[in-house]
Amino acid sequence: MSTSIGTDVNTMKWLIKREFWEHKGGFFWAPVVVAIVMAVFLAVAIAGTAYVGSQGVVTYNVESIDGGVAQPKTVKVLTPEKIKEVGEQLSVQIAHAYMGISAPLLAVFYLAVVFFCLGALYDERKNRSILFWKSLPISDAATVVSKVVTAIVLAPVLTFCVATILALVVVVVACTTSMLMGFNMFSEVLGAASFYFAPLQIAALLPVYVLWALPSVGLLLMIGALAPSKPFLWAVGTPLVTGVFLAMTNSIFQFGWNLSWYWRDIVGRGFLSVMPGSWFAMNPLDSHFSPTANVVDMAPLFSQSWQQLATANLWIGVVVGSAMIYAAIRVRRWKDEG
Amino acid sequence: MVDTNLTDFIIDAKNLTKRYGKSVAVDNISFQIPAGRIVGLIGPNGSGKTTTLKAMLGLVPFEGELKVLGLDPRTQRDELMKQVSFIADVAVLPRWIRVREAIDFVAGVHPKFDRAKAERYIQNTKLKPAMKVKEMSKGMIVQLHLALVMAIDAKLLVLDEPTLGLDILYRKQFYQNLLEDYFDENKTIIVTTHQVEEIEHILSDLMFIREGKITLSASMDEIAERFIEVMVSADNLAAALALKPIDERQVFGKSVMLFDTATSNSSADAVKALGEARAPGIADLFVATMRGTYA
Repeated sequence: MSTSIGTDVNTMKWLIKREFWEHKGGFFWAPVVVAIVMAVFLAVAIAGTAYVGSQGVVTYNVESIDGGVAQPKTVKVLTPEKIKEVGEQLSVQIAHAYMGISAPLLAVFYLAVVFFCLGALYDERKNRSILFWKSLPISDAATVVSKVVTAIVLAPVLTFCVATILALVVVVVACTTSMLMGFNMFSEVLGAASFYFAPLQIAALLPVYVLWALPSVGLLLMIGALAPSKPFLWAVGTPLVTGVFLAMTNSIFQFGWNLSWYWRDIVGRGFLSVMPGSWFAMNPLDSHFSPTANVVDMAPLFSQSWQQLATANLWIGVVVGSAMIYAAIRVRRWKDEG
Repeated sequence: MVDTNLTDFIIDAKNLTKRYGKSVAVDNISFQIPAGRIVGLIGPNGSGKTTTLKAMLGLVPFEGELKVLGLDPRTQRDELMKQVSFIADVAVLPRWIRVREAIDFVAGVHPKFDRAKAERYIQNTKLKPAMKVKEMSKGMIVQLHLALVMAIDAKLLVLDEPTLGLDILYRKQFYQNLLEDYFDENKTIIVTTHQVEEIEHILSDLMFIREGKITLSASMDEIAERFIEVMVSADNLAAALALKPIDERQVFGKSVMLFDTATSNSSADAVKALGEARAPGIADLFVATMRGTYA
């Protein structure tokens, strides 16, 4: 049945294209605009710091006051030796961790994906366009799967591309500035192997991310498919009310439950797993690694992420997430909008 | 009907029932629609016509038996939608989509979409390729939707109030196109509308539905034979009333009476002898048969 598979692939291509048309704003323009603002801000900050540093500090030599006229005297703080020392340190840090510059884009990404998932099966019911989509030969399964793929493959790939470009732009600005100050960071940075591996190691996290994010995407899609109105309130309200209820029951009856599992494994996995790297916080492995340490080394970030595949936490999430995606497909198939 | 192979009918419904909680929207109806017909499904609001259409399109679960193109819309919807096209409601196109994107998308996913045909329809309108649905008037949205649907070579086309919001010139144009460019003996069209007068000349069959039941189902030829409208002259008035007309109204001081020769135990000849006879309009027939619905 190669023709049937060919048709399915073709339909999926168009479904994803259609999601991109509709959500270009959140998945493409939002990170691009934030990246441009960040690039401008960082460029000004880098150039400004360098400029102030290179100008040295103006001091007034009190002893040289002669006839009431003070003679200003400039003291250079940044000696060539100092510049070289700072430059070498910076080069190492940049070569290893420059991708971290783009970390704020993850916040934009998280919000875009959460709102996309909540609206994906809600908005089409609200504006009745579901009747148009359902008038075409596209199964509910293909439709829902295309939304999953958009959320956890297309959107992260787009953000990754923007993030890489932003990081490179900032690296170029920093290195150019250093060159103007007499120290060539380009050769140091471009000579480091980690400079080239960093983006590849992040890109290679995509499969881990897809599996890790499934329960969140499934839950958010299902809320959107079921909510009679205001899916965002359902998404925020339900876990909060449940959590407060559990906490109150716990304290009234003195059950002595430890509710942290509820917040981490239910609420966290259900609503925060679409945040890339959230596995470090929600499913920490034995060896100590913190991505917020001063110098981020990409190699352990890569290997420790892949080690998630050996944890039950990840695979339980995959099973639960897939079940919720299946539920969302059934709901879309049969929910009567009157 | 004699026992026939199910696939001989485009639609074959047996004891079709749809309940919403305790209320019955479609009440145990049975009907068959052969290929090559244009069927008008006429009924007041809330009579169950949209629910019946939704059952056919696999949009709602139901009880009873229903085959569309030999397929069960509940379990074989994906297969069915390759052959069926519909406009279920007005203004359901997504607001963000551009004319160009809508055409690209349908061309991409529908194997039976004729892109050139859709573009030809659109050229006759004020629609531009870069235009978004949210920038369009209600009429333009309908024009785009119709252009997309008319370019799909489907065996069954279901139109639920397709021309609502269009001005009269475009409505006429639409039904003209439907008949000339779209319809052929292999296709079947089911249409509902409130503007009955505009479609009666294109219909081949008529189905009246009221409170979830089919009150009349016949071909237009059968209807022309069965129902007779007579402009009764004053001296025949008593004789006419004795034949139990199902409707009576006054036009220029004369009585126009509508007779159902199937129920008034009066022969067509007897009725025609009362005065100037002609086939009734669907609107008058509809009003006469629905009398009491809102009482």
